[in-house]
Amino acid sequence: MSFTVGVGETVALIGPSGCGKSTLLRIINGIVPADAGYIDVGDLRLSRDTVDRLRHRTGYVIQEGGLFPHLTARDNSAVLARYLRWPAERISGRVEELADAVRLPASLLNRFPLELSGGQRQRVSLMRALFVNPAVLLLDEPLGALDPMIRAELQTDLRDLFHRFRKTVVLVTHDVTEAAFFADRIVLMNAGTIVQDGSLSDLEQRPASEFVATFMSAQRITHGGVA
Amino acid sequence: MTWTTLSFPHDISAQDDRDSEAPVVIGSKKFTESVVLGELIAGLAQAEGVRAEHRKELGGTRVLWEALLSGDIDVYPDYTGTLMHETLSDHRISDVEHLAAVLESHGVRMTRSLGFNNTYALGMRRDRAGALGIRSISNLIGRPDLVFGFSNEFIDRADGWPGLQRTYRLPQQDVRGLDHSLAYRGLVDGALDVIDLYTTDAEIQAYDLVALDDDRGHFPEYKAVILYRADLVDRHPEMAGALGGLEGVISERRMAAMNARSNVDGVPETVVAADFLSEVLGVHIEVELTTRSQRLWKHTREHLTLVLVSLFFAILVAIPLGVIAYRHERIGALIVGVVGVIFTIPSLALLVFMIPLLGIGAGPAMVALFLYSLLPIVRNTHSGLKEIPLPVRESALALGLSPAFRLRHIELPMASGTILAGIKTAAVINIGTATLGALIGAGGYGQPILTGIRLNDVGLILEGAVPAALLAILAQSLFGIAERFLVPRGLRL
Repeated sequence: MSFTVGVGETVALIGPSGCGKSTLLRIINGIVPADAGYIDVGDLRLSRDTVDRLRHRTGYVIQEGGLFPHLTARDNSAVLARYLRWPAERISGRVEELADAVRLPASLLNRFPLELSGGQRQRVSLMRALFVNPAVLLLDEPLGALDPMIRAELQTDLRDLFHRFRKTVVLVTHDVTEAAFFADRIVLMNAGTIVQDGSLSDLEQRPASEFVATFMSAQRITHGGVA
Repeated sequence: MTWTTLSFPHDISAQDDRDSEAPVVIGSKKFTESVVLGELIAGLAQAEGVRAEHRKELGGTRVLWEALLSGDIDVYPDYTGTLMHETLSDHRISDVEHLAAVLESHGVRMTRSLGFNNTYALGMRRDRAGALGIRSISNLIGRPDLVFGFSNEFIDRADGWPGLQRTYRLPQQDVRGLDHSLAYRGLVDGALDVIDLYTTDAEIQAYDLVALDDDRGHFPEYKAVILYRADLVDRHPEMAGALGGLEGVISERRMAAMNARSNVDGVPETVVAADFLSEVLGVHIEVELTTRSQRLWKHTREHLTLVLVSLFFAILVAIPLGVIAYRHERIGALIVGVVGVIFTIPSLALLVFMIPLLGIGAGPAMVALFLYSLLPIVRNTHSGLKEIPLPVRESALALGLSPAFRLRHIELPMASGTILAGIKTAAVINIGTATLGALIGAGGYGQPILTGIRLNDVGLILEGAVPAALLAILAQSLFGIAERFLVPRGLRL
């Protein structure tokens, strides 16, 4: 499979569970080794020598946030900056700035993950991903574990952020509506391959295969039921 | 270079000084007679103005013999029969002259007999033997129903039960091994019918026992002698004369009486020995008796040192091993397997294995405790790291942090609670196991326990057991406090 994401573009990876969309994300940041092929981020090609630099260029947010339970929100967000030996002032300035950007009340910065709500945790996780200003954001079901109200609120905030900071975003979701909300371009995967790459209307009106048609109609039924 | 200022000749002369000033180290076995003889030797050394240290109640003939050869002790009392038929049985020694020659080839010398023969015998309660009509060992052949309880050493020794059973073709199968002083209690309580006796034991008279006639002459003579390293005479020439003073002066009755004073009347061995020296040899020594609180303080210091030193090094080694086990699955299985096997070695066996390598005293005891502490710490470090949830581990990876940074700032802090629990387990196990250290001369709370068992003195047993238990409880609560400082707050919510 091969696909390219342009600078500042948001691409949504969708597909049934087990189709390999999360694995693809983890191949991009080198957590899972690819059997063959290559990953380029900007002018960097993923290899054993470049993996850490490449990871510094890609922020990663997962469903439950993956926050470090022993660190406060502030320390969680600043882990990479500490590792890169940023001066303390620069770090605290960046924490304020990002808390503001992700709309996390400053009073929560000294709390531990277990003292935060699910939505707050995802905002901290986002701060951590954005901290050293990476060009690329990889998000794996970032809203998957949230209840609908918080989810809607965070969706809007996230989309605004992507546009404001002009991030290149690859977002994994199993929900077509959410995919369409974030991205003009949707990549539908099945059984480890890309079956269609296009806009929502392409997928709905010009399905590339029987599978695409079935997948899209199943999504419509699910959402019809909920709405 | 500043290194050149280190002068070797100076070092060597310091070594020489230490040798001639080093105390004479006396060993004794863990029964009363041996301890009394050890005190006699210590008293004589003191009278000669030689500093002496008595490592009493060491765990058996093998321990003492190895310690003598390695130089951990300089002198100890033993018996000709034991030397000829057990310790040096490979040499097939025929008489005392031959024995002396074989000892000399090991760098060991022997005094002449101290004057008494303390042979083995089989003993029964007089009333029970009378009722069953048993007077000699051959009378036991027709009584396979009788329960035999022998000291552990007797069960294994060539001149003990195996040889005896062959000589008399004894049919008894139900033979139990237990501590010699406990065997007496079993006999008196009726749990045992026949036990092994040392013929000078005070208990024979005190409990009204009979020694069965050895009618086929199985048991050899066990003349008491003193063994000492040949180099002791070079370092302390006066000791040779002093030890010679004990030759031929202790009769069987006299020895039995000394054993009885100590074991039955509860007179400290130091006093029993001092009285003998002054009455029989006209040697007067000062007896300094320790108070209970002095002893307690000494044993506490010894015990704490054993536990803390071993635990410290165990932490230093086991946490890295646990980390390696976590990072490399294959090596990890090997590491956890090996420390697991070490953990299952019985502590007494481990202590005795180490004597040829490390000698006796606190050193080998610490090594043994160190080895036992590895398993709980390695295993908990390994599992604490493994239990870190996958999303957290992957998040750390995805940030592009170095393995060292991840370990120090993410993984170890997250595993700290489990690691601390492992250290706590190791500490509590250590505090208990360290009581066995007394068997190889490491001191600690095990010493009063050993003496208490030997003298049937519950108070003395408690003097070791109660502080050991309190120490374990104290350790538990200290770890509870440490948890608050060492485990990050975010993990304790």
